[in-house]
Amino acid sequence: MKRPPSIDVSELPTTAFGQRDPLWWGVTGVMCIEGTMFALMAASYFYLRGGAYVWPPPGVLHPGLGITTLNLAILVLSIVPMHLAAQAAEREDLPKIRLWLAVSTVLFVAFLSIRISIMAHLTFRWDSHAYGSLVWVTVGLHTLHVLTGIVENLMFITVLTRGPVEDKLMDDLRLNSMYWYFVVACWVLFYCIFYLDPGLLGTRGV
Amino acid sequence: MNAEPIDRELVPDEEAVADAAAAEDRRLLERTWKYASGLRGWFAEVDHSKIGVRYIVTALIFFALGGIEALMMRVQLARPENRFLGPDLYNQVFTTHGSTMMFLFAVPMMLGLAVYLVPLMVGTRNLAFPRLNAFSYYIYLIGGLFLYTAFFLNTGPDAGWFAYVPLSGPQFSPGKRVDVWAQMITFTEISSLAVALNLITTIFKQRAPGMSLNRIPLYVWAMLVTSFMVVFAMPAVMLSSLMLALDRLIDTHFFNPAAGGDALLWQHLFWFFGHPEVYIIFIPATGIVSSILAPFTRREVFGYMPLVLSLVATGFIGFGLWVHHMFATGLPQLGASFFTAASIMIAIPTGTQIFCWIATLWGGHLRFKTPLLYVLGFLFTFVIGGLTGVMLAAVPLNLQVHDTFFVVAHFHYVLIGGAVFPLLGGLFYWYPKITGRMLSETWGKISFGLVFVGFQVTFFPQHILGLEGMPRRVYTYLPGTGWGSLNLLSTVGAFILGLGVLVYVLNGLVSLRRGEPAGNDPWGSDTLEWSVSSPPPPYNFQFLPTVSGRSPRWLWHDQHPVITGLRSDRREFLITNLMDAEPDHRQVSPGPTLWPFILSLGVGVTFIVGIFTPWGLPIGAVPVTIALIAWFWPRGDQGHKLLKEKS
Amino acid sequence: MNAGMNAGMNGIHWIGRHSALHAHGIEAARIGHLWWLMFWVCSTVFVLVMAATGFAITRRPDSTGLPGPVAPRSRLWMTRVVAGAVGLTIVTLFVLLFASVATGRAVASLGAPSAVVIKVTGHQWWWEVEYQDPQPSHIVRTANEIHIPAGRPVLIRLASNDVIHSFWVPSLHGKRDLIPGHDSQLWIEADRPGTYRGFCAEFCGHQHAHMGLLIIADRPDRYAAWYAAQLQTPPPPASPLEQRGRQVVEAAPCALCHTIGGTTASGSLGPDLTHLASRRTLAAATLPNTAANLGAWIVDPQAAKPGNQMPANSLAPGDLQAVVAYLESLR
Repeated sequence: MKRPPSIDVSELPTTAFGQRDPLWWGVTGVMCIEGTMFALMAASYFYLRGGAYVWPPPGVLHPGLGITTLNLAILVLSIVPMHLAAQAAEREDLPKIRLWLAVSTVLFVAFLSIRISIMAHLTFRWDSHAYGSLVWVTVGLHTLHVLTGIVENLMFITVLTRGPVEDKLMDDLRLNSMYWYFVVACWVLFYCIFYLDPGLLGTRGV
Repeated sequence: MNAEPIDRELVPDEEAVADAAAAEDRRLLERTWKYASGLRGWFAEVDHSKIGVRYIVTALIFFALGGIEALMMRVQLARPENRFLGPDLYNQVFTTHGSTMMFLFAVPMMLGLAVYLVPLMVGTRNLAFPRLNAFSYYIYLIGGLFLYTAFFLNTGPDAGWFAYVPLSGPQFSPGKRVDVWAQMITFTEISSLAVALNLITTIFKQRAPGMSLNRIPLYVWAMLVTSFMVVFAMPAVMLSSLMLALDRLIDTHFFNPAAGGDALLWQHLFWFFGHPEVYIIFIPATGIVSSILAPFTRREVFGYMPLVLSLVATGFIGFGLWVHHMFATGLPQLGASFFTAASIMIAIPTGTQIFCWIATLWGGHLRFKTPLLYVLGFLFTFVIGGLTGVMLAAVPLNLQVHDTFFVVAHFHYVLIGGAVFPLLGGLFYWYPKITGRMLSETWGKISFGLVFVGFQVTFFPQHILGLEGMPRRVYTYLPGTGWGSLNLLSTVGAFILGLGVLVYVLNGLVSLRRGEPAGNDPWGSDTLEWSVSSPPPPYNFQFLPTVSGRSPRWLWHDQHPVITGLRSDRREFLITNLMDAEPDHRQVSPGPTLWPFILSLGVGVTFIVGIFTPWGLPIGAVPVTIALIAWFWPRGDQGHKLLKEKS
Repeated sequence: MNAGMNAGMNGIHWIGRHSALHAHGIEAARIGHLWWLMFWVCSTVFVLVMAATGFAITRRPDSTGLPGPVAPRSRLWMTRVVAGAVGLTIVTLFVLLFASVATGRAVASLGAPSAVVIKVTGHQWWWEVEYQDPQPSHIVRTANEIHIPAGRPVLIRLASNDVIHSFWVPSLHGKRDLIPGHDSQLWIEADRPGTYRGFCAEFCGHQHAHMGLLIIADRPDRYAAWYAAQLQTPPPPASPLEQRGRQVVEAAPCALCHTIGGTTASGSLGPDLTHLASRRTLAAATLPNTAANLGAWIVDPQAAKPGNQMPANSLAPGDLQAVVAYLESLR
């Protein structure tokens, strides 16, 4: 009997970027899951708001658009070094990746510090009313994501410093940046809901 | 393309073995992909078939526990004002029964079977994320053990598998019972979500060359749609169970109407998950039905495109039905009509599937083996369940029979008839592949007879009980209601059904040793898993197969090409592209590691301590972070190009 | 068991009718029509599908047993049949959808200006009933038993103070949930006099199973007489035994949870007992209202309804007899 013909794949590469890489699908899937969760959180917000006479409840003083917008700006700005880090990863330029990861980590930490100060000065707690629960739990969930981003960046910086560094890591770095854009986008949504919406539309009277 | 069927001797996999070089290559593969051994190895295993079997066995054990709980309930309800179970225990038993069957049996069973089958069916060596797969299993196991530990410590959840607030809230359910439920949900959701991502990626990126989207086996299509439904449905219950746990632990007010919360928010979030959940269980079963029909009718399943489109349509419409669980809450008329329409319309894709299967039977050469009998039992039972589903979609009728035994009958017809019958048929069908031995056909038919008759006797009378006014979730009823005799009949049926399942399980246990050796392909099937030995080798395929049609094995001939050039000295597998499954690049699959297990322990600590104190989060964060970093830490041993040496 | 023995004797009197298939109200009747329409349509569909399956599996195959796709000739035929069946399915579903929406509109409201309005509040595990009237002195309070005039629309306003319950009287209408924070309402009407059983249909904890109620539809004149009697304060105790019973009730924990009009007992945690003796049942339509059941209930409520909120009462034998005699006098 003859042996069957074969298709030789030994010349194919062992890494690929973007949609070609299975890990891209994994990370995209995680973003779908968490995006759905945050979207449902926002839906819950509007559901409870629709059933309330006064929204936000009396006694809720917001920290002001100034500080919250500044903090949002810091977060959005962090996209720039993350993007530059991803580009450097494409070029396999290890020192540049490390530099931009460090810059973005500083921005994350700054964002988190200002957020802590904002939350510490709120006039309500998570157990004050449902509005407080929504704000605190959303901020809490998002903070977990920011912390994850910080830990990931620190891990990458350590790996890049100590080695070994494989070309496969470059793809992980790009996915790391992609995930960070998602974390930023989530907060843009909730910034609009928590701070712009009551400011622009005013509170609904009894 | 040559469509002539061929003899089994010519299967390329076997022919290639003759070659000495191939034999050497095979030894190398065996060494590279060797299963981890020893106790440490058990916890480090990342092979999909090993973990798939663990899923199946674990889910079957939970199925047995859930079944015992069902029998306890039936004994309690056999006569009015029975004192076998008091209300406190009954409420724990029915809650644990529902939660077990949904979260610890049906979903993990369907996903676990796919963990086993999908890589074999699409022609690859392991799932896309093997370590994530191991993690999924452990987190599921921890969730299940946690629930049952609590149950035996008299802390079993007792607010129903739907845990409606405020009954499940801090005020009306003090103690830890509901917290156990909420955390068990979180465990199993994480597990299901992780499996779903694994399946999606594997199906999208690791199909054998030639398996373009329009040649994917129907079972794999079903699992793809199911996985997408998991991704978009499960976050709802994760979020709502988180809110519930926080309401109970740190006094948030998501569901407290006195502080701006809303009890109905829970129902919306829960059913936004809960209705797709039914399809997450049912759609894999449709895939099993199609898988069984092809070999036992000797025909390709009729209507590939309509079947795939029906699956996708079901996946979408399934998200637009949740409010039909809430008609009695008093929704605006227009909104209710919309959900009635959506609920009725989902019968169109379901009907289409049934017609296609009947057409397949009509055109086929039937062999009435046990798996086919289960499919016929499925058709009979599921059609009844589907039709009562149409009735329930009608708001006025729903207001009468909602939350009565009519609904209990309906969803058991849909879930047992629609999912468990195909599953029993499917396990019978794949048992030879998994174990290498055949089940006894005689005992298979006996068990089918008992299961089928027992099921109808148990659940058909419950339709009538519901119409006669018997509400659900009652631990007893008054003698004057006249419900006694039908309830007794139902209890008798439940024991017949239980006996049938027992015969089925014993058949499985006995055949492990006594069954006839199965060979590669005892049924003459069309899909790729039957082209390898039973049980499959750890690397699945020595040479990855190529595919030239929807029934690849029926189209193979001696000049059918295979894939060569993957390295055997490391765990290499082939990545193909999304649409046409053309070879794209190679990747290296990770080997055995303990970190997924350690991570699952860390997550377990976080959630279980989190029941008692909010400090669970920071306490658990430490092991979780360590395990995650260790998991992802690049070791530079996978043969990739090194950009920088270890310093 | 008490309940068992009594049920045999005069079951229908205190159990009441409870079948969705035997309607005694206009709404249940309309839903009943929809049910029978759906039943016959669905049965026909089922028989047709099973006949097709039976035909398919008994048919002698017309081609070889070699595996592969079906022959092109059969394929065309099968495509037509399947497409036709799908088309028929769609038409049938539209008919059912139309019937459902039409029935839904018809049963949504009986809107009548002169309706009797009754507020029903769900508690774990009993029903508080309050007949609404602009004049406070004309408000009747009772529990677990609702008298309505036959042939007249009744508006039930539903509320819950604790968990979600669901108000369901199968002979008259479908159910409606009582959700804390979401007051709702339900129109009912009984065609003819009779006793109808209601259930709590949403799981509400330990005694969900024993949270029944009776709807008693009376001729309008009898209903008016009943209403007038309920407005009266019960007569003072007629015998020394009843007098002693009243004293015990006022002094014992009873008064903390229950109200009896004309006495100092004014608790609001449990059912109003002002006219307890006029009611047919005890413990939310769980036991027939007999002296024996009442006595047993007072001593150990946890025996008949384990987990309910009423504690056991250890009264001296003479006191218990007196309390039962007094409560039995509250007509």
